[in-house]
Amino acid sequence: MVDPEIRPAVHCDGVVVSNEPVSSGLIRIDLEMDQPISFQPGQFAMLNLAGSASLVFSRPFSIFEADGRRMSFLYRVVGSGTRSMDALTAGDTMTFLGPLGRPFPEPEAGQSVVLIAGGVGLPPLAAWLAHHNENSGVEINAFFGARDGADVPWGLLKDRWDVSVDSPRDIPEGRLAWEGRVTDLAASREDLREGRDRMVLACGPTPLLKAAARFAEERGWDCWLSLEEHMGCGYGVCKGCVVPVHDPDNGPDALRNATCCEEGPVFNAAVLAWERPRGPQ
Amino acid sequence: MSLPAWWTIDPNQPFTLGPRQFPGRIWTASGCFAYGLTGHDMKSAGFASPYQGIGAVVTKTVTPEPRPGNPMPRLAETGHGAINSIGLENVGFEAFLAETLPALEELGVPTVVSLAATRPDEFGDMAGMLHEKAAGFIHWHGVEVNLSCPNVAEGGHDFGRDPATVAACVSAARRNLPDRALLAKLTPNVADIAELATAASEAGADAVSAINTVIGLEVDLETGRPVLPRRFGGYSGPAIRPIALAKVDEIVTRSGVPVVAVGGIENYRDALKFFALGAVAVQVGTAQMRDPFAAARIARDLTPGQQG
Repeated sequence: MVDPEIRPAVHCDGVVVSNEPVSSGLIRIDLEMDQPISFQPGQFAMLNLAGSASLVFSRPFSIFEADGRRMSFLYRVVGSGTRSMDALTAGDTMTFLGPLGRPFPEPEAGQSVVLIAGGVGLPPLAAWLAHHNENSGVEINAFFGARDGADVPWGLLKDRWDVSVDSPRDIPEGRLAWEGRVTDLAASREDLREGRDRMVLACGPTPLLKAAARFAEERGWDCWLSLEEHMGCGYGVCKGCVVPVHDPDNGPDALRNATCCEEGPVFNAAVLAWERPRGPQ
Repeated sequence: MSLPAWWTIDPNQPFTLGPRQFPGRIWTASGCFAYGLTGHDMKSAGFASPYQGIGAVVTKTVTPEPRPGNPMPRLAETGHGAINSIGLENVGFEAFLAETLPALEELGVPTVVSLAATRPDEFGDMAGMLHEKAAGFIHWHGVEVNLSCPNVAEGGHDFGRDPATVAACVSAARRNLPDRALLAKLTPNVADIAELATAASEAGADAVSAINTVIGLEVDLETGRPVLPRRFGGYSGPAIRPIALAKVDEIVTRSGVPVVAVGGIENYRDALKFFALGAVAVQVGTAQMRDPFAAARIARDLTPGQQG
């Protein structure tokens, strides 16, 4: 079920180079791997929080940057795993398994791209944007939504992203942020109203994903979503991270379970069975 | 730590279990390594593949019909362990026989097929179809009957607790499985596991696999409700290793039935503890989910002079 051009996953060690906040909610961890790793934007890695023996599972993180042996990830502290990760300092070791999963697709010739990222959903889309620089010939509009100005990693976004915030507090001098939902920001843009073919790529909390899918569907655009799910193994063997998808081969109403780690984490919005968000009951 | 003086076995040398010779003594446990890695490619420095040194991949349990599995969430990590309620999601016996097992044979992966069923005679039917269809397969070494998966409401749980039912399932499979190894995977959630091992052995099992997961439950403090929709699940990981060691010891000393030990093995030192008690082979389960090379690493580390 894995595309043939996707590279083999590598299991290796990485040494923490730095582990510092880039906004009020996001932390950037840089690892020096023991070998160079290449990936495609949208793919993820399982990081094993060595040094915290009580955690039996690794944790999945979308790859933010990879440059030779250096790899970077962004994360938010949400549970025991990321709390342990936040305590790591330079010189600590993590184990790495990746790259894993299916990446975002490439746009077709002449197709423009709209990126919609929310909070900790930024890394895979920032990676995608970094792989498509201004000279790539692809017209790209990038939108990032955060809670407030302090939650925005301004230094990482540079000037390629338009920013929205739920609350307009803590916007730094000289920065602009639109107040409201990031999908509404995208919808408000005059230059996105012309009828050309576009592809929407989104990653973020479930309400954002649903809104992005609706935004694309209303305009007749293709939409690809990177889902976040708790994972056991990350490589398709435990079946602990399934998402319900439509199964047209078995009838118009048929559903089946797709592993988020192996068939995803990037899914076409049209295959996802939103009405059954938590698997067959 | 170097290998202890009493350790004189090379786990990568073939050994005999019932009518079969297995290529090694370090296996992967059912449910933690799918049907091997068909379709994947994985690399780790120093290993030709994740199968290097593996004596057998025990497949994810296959049932007569395909199963969609349980609702999410299916996993609850707890300190030093995790509780799962996957619900035996699997492709079904027909697809397994037509596609999965031939793919494993072609890859040359030593395979033990884990089977679960709803009636004892279904074990016999599936064993018979395997015997018929895979008679020429050289890498298919045996069957492990899953009598004790605690997360299928209508299924194996009760089979595994009663010696007479264990015997009925094992003897049904044995009748149709003349030339492959037959193992019975035992639940630890009983008062007397040695009695089950004896029943399985007398019914024709060549060995028992012990232990399956321990029944566990985790509560979400925010909601005050169990994390898993079905409340209970199978507890695994390093936390259950002392339980597994005790149960293996009970079986070895009281029944004398050969044991393939499983339960919380993460590294070669853990594996050695089970070998010290008399296990003939070991299976690596939860640790394989974190590291696809966990079993291969243990096989390497237990080879004199090869410790990593």
